[in-house]
Amino acid sequence: MKFLASSFLLILSLSGSCWAQVSTADQLYQQSLAATCANCHGTNGKGLPNQSIPLISQISSEELLAQLLAYKSGTRPGTLMPQLAKGYTDAQLESIANQLGKKP
Amino acid sequence: MNRRHFLARSAAGLSVLGGFSSYAQANLNKASILVIGGGFGGATAAKYLRLFSNNTANVTLIEPNASFLSCPMSNFVVAGMRTMADITSPYESLTKHHGIKLIRDSVTAIDPDKKTVTLASGTTLGYDKVVLSPGISLMMNSIEGLAKANQAGITLQAWKAGPETLMLYKQLAAMRDGGVFAISIPEAPYRCPPGPYERASLVAHYLKQHKPKSKVLILDANQDLTSKGALFKKAWAEQYSGLIEYRPSHNVAGVDAKTRTLRFEVQDDVRADVLNVLPAMSAGEIAIKTGLANANGRWVNVDFLNFESTATKDIHVLGDAIQTAPLMPKSGHMANQHAKVAAAAIIAQLNDWPINPAPVVNNTCYSFVNEQAAVHIASVHQYDAQAKTFKSVPGAGGLSTESSTKEGSYAWGWAHSIWADTLA
Repeated sequence: MKFLASSFLLILSLSGSCWAQVSTADQLYQQSLAATCANCHGTNGKGLPNQSIPLISQISSEELLAQLLAYKSGTRPGTLMPQLAKGYTDAQLESIANQLGKKP
Repeated sequence: MNRRHFLARSAAGLSVLGGFSSYAQANLNKASILVIGGGFGGATAAKYLRLFSNNTANVTLIEPNASFLSCPMSNFVVAGMRTMADITSPYESLTKHHGIKLIRDSVTAIDPDKKTVTLASGTTLGYDKVVLSPGISLMMNSIEGLAKANQAGITLQAWKAGPETLMLYKQLAAMRDGGVFAISIPEAPYRCPPGPYERASLVAHYLKQHKPKSKVLILDANQDLTSKGALFKKAWAEQYSGLIEYRPSHNVAGVDAKTRTLRFEVQDDVRADVLNVLPAMSAGEIAIKTGLANANGRWVNVDFLNFESTATKDIHVLGDAIQTAPLMPKSGHMANQHAKVAAAAIIAQLNDWPINPAPVVNNTCYSFVNEQAAVHIASVHQYDAQAKTFKSVPGAGGLSTESSTKEGSYAWGWAHSIWADTLA
């Protein structure tokens, strides 16, 4: 948790006002990575209410990462997510969880 | 990633921050970006060009249709289970929420040397970057008699969602009980590999309820189903026994409009009451006209790091029109993913930043086997710097184990979500 908090602070300090601002190439890469989830989970992770797809922005980044890694390792069952999670590196999943999870 | 790696990467990010100059920002603000085509690729690109530039890029979307018509879920309209309104979304949110300029017109010419785009209305616009998402063109002349038959409504394609989608339903609704609905499929690659099999399934679902003596005939130019084969075959055997007939290696050579008959290269003629003929496809006409279709004269080769055409600088091509990477389908979901990679690369370039050396895209595709139950196929594609293409990650992706109503509900969730991610 300490780690997640520090990464948020870092992102905040890089971007100035709002964490979603793109001020560096790295932020651009991270945002375009997280955008691969947006087709199903909504732009910036803000999904649609009253639909069947889970609202991931309601889950903490820590819990989201745990779920993604569990999908990847096969310990968490699912229809599609175990298959998609296996295609991403752990570092990519961590970046996605940091960006799309519930902000503290 | 451990803490040390994270910090190391953040430091790399900081060093790039140093390169973020006011000169580059001025480039970004001044550059005129024209997005041609408001489908899944183009609309997504327009929106993410704005998001990735903190809403500073100058983005214009050129699209002839008044509103967005979704091909995904259009088979529900063909089978009479949904209306056109259910697959229609407005374009106006792109202006209201994202400040994108909309021009309702079609592009008649692109001049890569003068860097201009000419519209049907006669207006000529200059550009720094074009994002071209032209969709597909149906090669009506590849089948003898098809162009005339389709124009007369004797055959329909209904593959580009539009007026023909509803016309096909009306023909199905008017068909006698005991009639034959025939759908023909061209050789791969074509837009939406499992789409024809989903259409056959939903039409069969309709016929089972309303005209049980009728038949769905699938005439496939390919040697077997091109996608989700085992899942569809299982569903057909269990739910539509005697109602769906699948004939592989049936390549339509000609259409006789008078007798509603399809002629084949080898096999016997087929007469049907409703004829849904899908001819071979190519990149949208404007891509071919601009000289971009350098893959067999049909598809556009692109640099997969930024989706720039390999034929011409500063024209980035997305979606079904491109020569895809291995195992990458021509789908709306994939076009939306192409758009995000291209948008990020264009913004990086205009900021004088290096382009992301390791993009990733995924595909998610649901197909219904009846009104409620669906199956999926998924894949993840990481960029391979040595091969200079996206490679499907081994061990990732896959298919449903069986059709389910749970996946049917996810499929509708997917549709509403991607419509919003693309257009809202």
